[in-house]
Amino acid sequence: MEPDLVVPTMEAIRRWAGVSVPNAAARQGLADMAGLIAEVEAVRAGMVFEDEPSSFEAALADLKEPAR
Amino acid sequence: MNAPVSADLTALSMTEAADAFARGEASAEALVRASLARIDAHDRTVNAVIRLDREAALEAAASQDRARAAGETPGPLAGAPMMHKDMYYRAGKVSTCGSKIRRDFVAPVTATVLQRLDAAGAIDMGTLNMAEFAQNPTGHNAHFGDCHNPWNLPYCTGGSSSGSGAGVAARFFTAALGSDTGGSIRLPATICGVTGLKATQTRVSRAGVMPLSFSADNVGPLVRTARDAARFLRVVAGHDPKDPTSAREPVPDYEAALTGDAKGLRVVVLETGFLDGADAPVATAFEDSMKALAAQGAIVTRANAPEIMRAVNAYTAVISRVEGATIHGNWMRGRAGDYAIHLSARLYGGYAMPGHTYVEALSRRGPLLRRFVAEVMGGADLVATPTLKTRVPTLAETDIDADPANWDRFMAVSANTRPFNYLGLPTISVPCGFDDRGLPIGLQLAGRPFAEGTVLRLADAYQRVTDWHRRAPALP
Repeated sequence: MEPDLVVPTMEAIRRWAGVSVPNAAARQGLADMAGLIAEVEAVRAGMVFEDEPSSFEAALADLKEPAR
Repeated sequence: MNAPVSADLTALSMTEAADAFARGEASAEALVRASLARIDAHDRTVNAVIRLDREAALEAAASQDRARAAGETPGPLAGAPMMHKDMYYRAGKVSTCGSKIRRDFVAPVTATVLQRLDAAGAIDMGTLNMAEFAQNPTGHNAHFGDCHNPWNLPYCTGGSSSGSGAGVAARFFTAALGSDTGGSIRLPATICGVTGLKATQTRVSRAGVMPLSFSADNVGPLVRTARDAARFLRVVAGHDPKDPTSAREPVPDYEAALTGDAKGLRVVVLETGFLDGADAPVATAFEDSMKALAAQGAIVTRANAPEIMRAVNAYTAVISRVEGATIHGNWMRGRAGDYAIHLSARLYGGYAMPGHTYVEALSRRGPLLRRFVAEVMGGADLVATPTLKTRVPTLAETDIDADPANWDRFMAVSANTRPFNYLGLPTISVPCGFDDRGLPIGLQLAGRPFAEGTVLRLADAYQRVTDWHRRAPALP
């Protein structure tokens, strides 16, 4: 995420989850999350889904291999 | 399937060992003593074992021998020595989960899968090394020491079921439970040159198993052959009232599906993201495997699905991190310093992800599975990819605690396996070659939901015309 959002995010995590940043790698990991955020944004922009809720378990059952 | 009993009992696969026991050609005690001797001789270099229950294993073997002598019909796995990833709870026994935090945790219950294996006559000899809390794809472990690849010791085993893959490859035992949330059965299977099966999501009970991700955790075997996997799965699959998420689908006789016939099975090769950019030895071995399947009558076609796979990969990352962070919340609040650096860092990021994004990732799962089956598989029965598209890396090359610059190489290890956890599809990895450094290469085959029989049928047909799965490493 953007560098100026890292510290506020750390504070939000501390308030919501009670977890403090454990090490420098964790702090860097927050900064690196920009890539994942961009991927999620790209998916939203590129794919259209039916409104939820939908059931994964129902999809598993519906898509079973036809009997051989 | 009456394979002659080898003088070296550790050369037997799980089904060969169980069948030899059933025919009275090998005693359970002899099978267990052969395994124990091999572990004693070689585990100092491999480091696959966390706890060896020597006396309990010999007692269980003696019990099987007595039952057979008394005329009782042996169970389908009777006499087969096994060990399991140290996250399957057995009441009264320590289950470390590969961690410092649970180094002294005594399990209050016995996992359903262990109960089913016990009932089938399998001999449980103890517990195996693993990535800490099953949370990395390479098998590194800061608390119990890294597990080493039996084919070439400086190389990684794959994870998180590192001891399961290394131990089966080293012929320490015939089978091992692994767990697979992003590839943790299939990666050590491919990297150690054995066979690993992740069944359809919900196929196998997770009761009594350490959780990593509620949505994507799977229980399954690492073994030597598809036939082993078929028999093992039949024993452990099926609904369990203790795990309400487990499927109520009937469990077929998977071994009966192993006809050796691949004719007419339609296999689609996923190229974009799975095969493009593969290291040359991997690409060559994979294409050779497709030629072998085509020669057996399978119909091999090609497909690309960059848009669907991009969504699958993005949402997979969200789910696994949020669920992992939630499960580890109490320890992250009080004992974060007791995790390996890379693990606490990874868990920490999960707390930054908004709830609505997590729910979005979960709710897209069904629609994306439907699109994958309709648009990517089309009329195909199976999907094929390399299990790992690079050559096997060394432990040093993927040690991100020693050097964060190794991050990309570390994450690339599970690139081809993670999507099939989000999609929930049954997926197997079987050996399909070796690279120029003598390390194994794996072929990954995925089927439609609950089509484990078809996945196993094609894997078995492939193993009938190849011998990659029969090769064993020369251990120091």
